[in-house]
Amino acid sequence: MNKKLKLENTGVLVVLFTLTFISILPFLWMISTSLKSNGALLSIPVEWIPKTVSWAAFIKVFTRLPFIGALANSTFITMTSTTITLISSSLAAFVFAKFEFKYKNLLFTLFLASMMIPIQVTGIPIFIILTKLNLTNSYLGVIFPTVFNVFAIFLLRQYMKNISNDFIEAAFMDGANFWQVYWKIVLPMSIVPLTTLFVINFMNYWNDYFWPLIILSDPNKMTLPVLLSKLNAQYTTEYNTLMAGSLVSMVPILIVYAFAQKYFIAGIQEGGIK
Amino acid sequence: MKNLMMKCCVVLATLVLLVACAPAKEENVQIKFMNYSSNGGNEDALEAMVKAFEDQNPTIDVVIETYGYNDYFTQLATRVAGDQAPDVFELNIENFRAYADKGAIAELDSVLEDNDIDVSLIHPKALSAFQIDGKQYGLPTKFSNVVLIYNKDLFDQAGIAYPTEDWTWDEELAAAQKIRALGDDIYGIFRPVQTWEFYKTVVQNGGAMMNADQSEFTLNSAENIEALSMMVDRINVSNVTPTTEQMSGIGDWDLFISGRLGMIVTGIWAFGKFTTDCTFDWDIAVEPGIEEHATHFFSDALVVSADSAEKDAAALFSAFIAGSEESAKLRVEANWDLPVVLSEDVIADYMAVTPPANKQAVFDSLDYLVMPPSLEKFSAVADDLQVYLSKAISGELTAKEALDQAQATISAKY
Amino acid sequence: MRNMQKQTKIFLILFLVPSVFGFIVFSLIPMISAFYLSFTSWDVIGGAPEWIGMKNYIDIFRSEEFYRVMRNTLKFITFYIPSIMVSSLLVALLFDRKIKGMGMFRVLLFIPVLTSWIAGAIIWRSVLSGQYGLMNNLLALFSIKGPAWLTDPDWAMIAVVMVSVWKDLGFFSLILFGGLRGIDKTLYEAAKIDGATSFQVLRRITIPLLTPTIFFVLVTTIINSFQLFPQVMVMTGGGPDGATQVMVERIYTYGFRYFEMGYAAAMAVILLLIIVIVTIVQMRLQKKWVFYE
Repeated sequence: MNKKLKLENTGVLVVLFTLTFISILPFLWMISTSLKSNGALLSIPVEWIPKTVSWAAFIKVFTRLPFIGALANSTFITMTSTTITLISSSLAAFVFAKFEFKYKNLLFTLFLASMMIPIQVTGIPIFIILTKLNLTNSYLGVIFPTVFNVFAIFLLRQYMKNISNDFIEAAFMDGANFWQVYWKIVLPMSIVPLTTLFVINFMNYWNDYFWPLIILSDPNKMTLPVLLSKLNAQYTTEYNTLMAGSLVSMVPILIVYAFAQKYFIAGIQEGGIK
Repeated sequence: MKNLMMKCCVVLATLVLLVACAPAKEENVQIKFMNYSSNGGNEDALEAMVKAFEDQNPTIDVVIETYGYNDYFTQLATRVAGDQAPDVFELNIENFRAYADKGAIAELDSVLEDNDIDVSLIHPKALSAFQIDGKQYGLPTKFSNVVLIYNKDLFDQAGIAYPTEDWTWDEELAAAQKIRALGDDIYGIFRPVQTWEFYKTVVQNGGAMMNADQSEFTLNSAENIEALSMMVDRINVSNVTPTTEQMSGIGDWDLFISGRLGMIVTGIWAFGKFTTDCTFDWDIAVEPGIEEHATHFFSDALVVSADSAEKDAAALFSAFIAGSEESAKLRVEANWDLPVVLSEDVIADYMAVTPPANKQAVFDSLDYLVMPPSLEKFSAVADDLQVYLSKAISGELTAKEALDQAQATISAKY
Repeated sequence: MRNMQKQTKIFLILFLVPSVFGFIVFSLIPMISAFYLSFTSWDVIGGAPEWIGMKNYIDIFRSEEFYRVMRNTLKFITFYIPSIMVSSLLVALLFDRKIKGMGMFRVLLFIPVLTSWIAGAIIWRSVLSGQYGLMNNLLALFSIKGPAWLTDPDWAMIAVVMVSVWKDLGFFSLILFGGLRGIDKTLYEAAKIDGATSFQVLRRITIPLLTPTIFFVLVTTIINSFQLFPQVMVMTGGGPDGATQVMVERIYTYGFRYFEMGYAAAMAVILLLIIVIVTIVQMRLQKKWVFYE
């Protein structure tokens, strides 16, 4: 029995190794490309591993490009947006999970339907609305639309449904008001799905390209994806700089994910997506 | 719990009002300037020009916004639609017409006159490309044409003479074949097979994409078919031009820079990049034709938004970038296309910046310029034609079949 | 008590305000505008939209392009959905094993999910390039001559599917893994005692209990398939020969490249209807196969 298990586990590891290797192969090539000098980029035959390691691309990323500024912008926008999404979604999810009111189902269905519209269509109307609100070319213009996030509401609602009503009723009995119940009971109990959503949203907002491109015209407010896309120019691409920049820009999400990984999975597991 | 939705709406409306009333005020004269052509190598040159302008006009602040060509027009359209157009922005000839026709850009004659702005230094040919009914709508900043750029080292290795102005496609092909023979990964020449190249190449063969008054397409004329088969044969028969697979995802410029391409027919805006990145000797010649010479004319102009609140400053700025000797010199220094101000001084400077040594070819090419067909839906036509050109490259259709079908589809649609 | 009810009402409203506000401003109004625009001709950069009735819709249904785009989308779905389902289920089952160091695999397999499409696409363009690409070099080791992935009309969509599976595998296998962890392990043991084989356990217990999660993944991946865009845009731009043109890519091209926003909006309305119908059908069908405890 034990021997069989060992054999099975070895098999599992072999399969996982292979899959993981294939999965990160492009990523390894990114690293290899980022360490090449301009000349080595296009050499034939391809240098899988650069013969001489050149840090020029990384140096360029940090010195010639406004990379630090973009990093700061991305961090600010992503953190604020994620926080706003989590707050507004958990508020709404709490109401949807625990209370009855007229048109509740209609409203929820409408919410879900709105998930299906691609941004390329609503882009121009939203831009015009933001113009009227005087929010173009401001961080707020990028952050504001994240106040509504159906996926987050959906996931949190599913989860909060499973929170026992006894807790909530007991708290009301003790004279707590809505806000206190939400803040002191519901929110702490939902920490697991909140972490899951934090990772997902952080990732999405961090990599978002279309909105920051259109809304933030001031070069000082540029985010990382917008900056990186400029390296992919009309006639020529600086592959090594682009890859170096992409790698550096992946570090924050990688860290966030590595730390939150356990909660992230638990969030999906514990009645979240069902 | 009645009326919950109703109340939500009331609260919302209040919020909208609160947000909408947030004030936004500017104190200095600030103009926003959006461009694409400095992206990918000439950002510093543009910045130097803007700085020179600001030094002369300390009351005007210019905010530069540079986008890659691929994103530029998405950005611009969205902002024009949202009444947030930048004060000054860059347009190429193809898009200029559409923006002018829709009233998105300001007519400049009166603004220039009111402010005593002199644009007389600008080359008349470039200036007239941005006029509609004799009125100026844009100020061209630079000319571009297309030349034959060649890798001298590869020519030496193959033991052949450098290209001259008398070359035709025949000499070009002969040379390309000799260079192709140097190695499996070395190619002779790169001329892309796409709509942009097609309209020029057919002129080289005495054909045209449209008839003289531009009322009808003449895509499948005998001259055009012949030209297209020549273009395609370069890829599939003699293979002096790499197939897409052989290009393996790298760009044509990058291929040239890697030293594996003998000749490339491309814009003079490549000079800067090639100067810094090429590790071999290169020079240029007038683009060889088939029956006659023909080469592209490109020009980018600055236009002033019709909605700009600072039209005077915007026009002053455009005129400086486009028509001042100072900015022309900065442009020359950066090896960034050909300025439209061609005073003797500027020309002398321009000739002095090498490589390429044979800069005279750039001026000689000005005699052979062809313009793209003037079509409102040029990019849509270009995409449609491209489908058939691709079928000719893949061998699915012959050149004749491809152009016959293209003629039928495109005439029916536009 | 009255007081309590009033308090409840106020709080409910306040709690819903941020989301409802966002919904109205960033979803509902834009959706209605898009619907209106679909009956107009609007070139974005100048003038107001001009009412042209059903013309956009008629043009779309008469165009060859629309059916090509539908075929392409169907081709994507046919290859993508089974591949992502099977591969992420497999990975999830592997994840479910109690082996040391599993956390590392979960992090590594998630890397593609974290990679932005711009970088990912550039890498893949070179991996898949015909002659020098990594993929065909690897295939050559097994004496297989790989196709010109991105430039061959027959293979381009397959290439897009491969890249999409690469990107999404980490995400969906984690979701399924989350579902697996929710299954009561004593059920497995009971079955084992009754003499069930591993495959029987998988078929009779694991999969049925996992159906809610599988259903979620299915709905999400199908919606994503219809909204397929970034990978196409950065890898093939709809080519070669229109072989990877899909709805959202067309919407973008018409709206922002050809400045025919009305036509693009009509396409969007059609797309929305298709997604809604498909989702409703799935919701109906779920009763037949999804197992709720």
